Amino acid sequence: MTSVLRGYRGYIGSRPVRGERTPQQVQNLVIRDYASRHGMAFKLSATEYAMPGCYMMLNAVIEELPTLDGVIVFSMFMLPSGETKRRRLYQDILGQGRELHAALENLSLRCVDDIGRFEDILRVNDFAATEMPRAR
Amino acid sequence: MSVQAVLAADQTTNEALQSPPRGFLAAADAALGARFISDGYVIQPVEDAALLERIRAAVTSQAARHLGIPESRPADTFLNTIHTKVGAAELNALRLAVHGAVNASPWLREAYFSLARRTIEALVGNELAMQRRVNLSIQLPGDDSSLLPVHTDVWSGDSPFEVVVWLPLVDCFRTKSMFLLPPVPDRAMSARLHEFADRSAEDLFRAIEPDVQWLDIRFGEVLVFAQSLMHGNRVNAEADTRWSLNCRFKSLFSPYADKRLGDFFEPITVRPATRIAMDYRLPGGFE
Repeated sequence: MTSVLRGYRGYIGSRPVRGERTPQQVQNLVIRDYASRHGMAFKLSATEYAMPGCYMMLNAVIEELPTLDGVIVFSMFMLPSGETKRRRLYQDILGQGRELHAALENLSLRCVDDIGRFEDILRVNDFAATEMPRAR
Repeated sequence: MSVQAVLAADQTTNEALQSPPRGFLAAADAALGARFISDGYVIQPVEDAALLERIRAAVTSQAARHLGIPESRPADTFLNTIHTKVGAAELNALRLAVHGAVNASPWLREAYFSLARRTIEALVGNELAMQRRVNLSIQLPGDDSSLLPVHTDVWSGDSPFEVVVWLPLVDCFRTKSMFLLPPVPDRAMSARLHEFADRSAEDLFRAIEPDVQWLDIRFGEVLVFAQSLMHGNRVNAEADTRWSLNCRFKSLFSPYADKRLGDFFEPITVRPATRIAMDYRLPGGFE
């Protein structure tokens, strides 16, 4: 799976993911563990800027794809919230024969058939409520 | 509120629950639902015997491979007597190996769902999310290292909207199976659970022990239970080893708790109207 020369670029963030903040060192631990379990060469993570809606670092990683095997994002819920942008991202990655991995969810996108699975989770999540039961 | 008052209130509630509003449910679904509400579980024959055999064969062959022993027949003898080939010290490695291997099979989850599809749809709904990993439990006779003390899944981050589909790979009965506290005593004990704040799960079990129900489930049957009810297992005091699988299902758009979409749950039966709705945008540009 892994070329010694290329490897997988990690991608972590400084914004909350689904309303929760995960320290960056913990995000990196999750990515490192995922890479280790799947026998993937891990390359130091790019850290997205904190400004809401900003994906400049992700764009930089995409530009770097010719020298990578793919990207490991901490969570699939860090991907752009707009479906059109996400699909463009999938196309950029798959079109170059590269892979997208989501470490926390232990999910990977290696071919167009995997897109539906990613999108079903992301899109249903937009509509599904999260609610812990209340104490009596 | 005293326990007697809770029980009295529960009696009234429970009588009402015996025949919940049927709405437009089919009669058979309403009857199954009434059983589920009053007992907290249903046990049904699996809906596809061939798939059940396929799942058990996958578990058996992976276990034999991990242990480096021939896969003797029949499968239930192999599984029931695995304690003659593996001890408690090696059990977790066996469990992890089999769990990892069978979950890597792309057909497993759909097959698992197919074993109880109609029951799940009747009790939960037909637009569903399914747990992404099917859990494996192996309980050797006399082994106290694999116990699940009394708990509800909701206490550890599951949504009360989830059900557990529990599949025995061998006949499970008495302590080789699991216990469940039925809804009426569960409600009474939940109301006074705070009294156990400084005590242990074992104390809690002793308090509910007279009321728990041991669920006898044969291979070929599947148990669906409300994981918001107290349940667990004890040391397997029977002669044979328990092997069972379990997996959670919930209505796709019911509330999620700590076990969320993506890392824990995944949509499995998104319906066309939902797909249209998720794509829909009101026409804009009027401002």
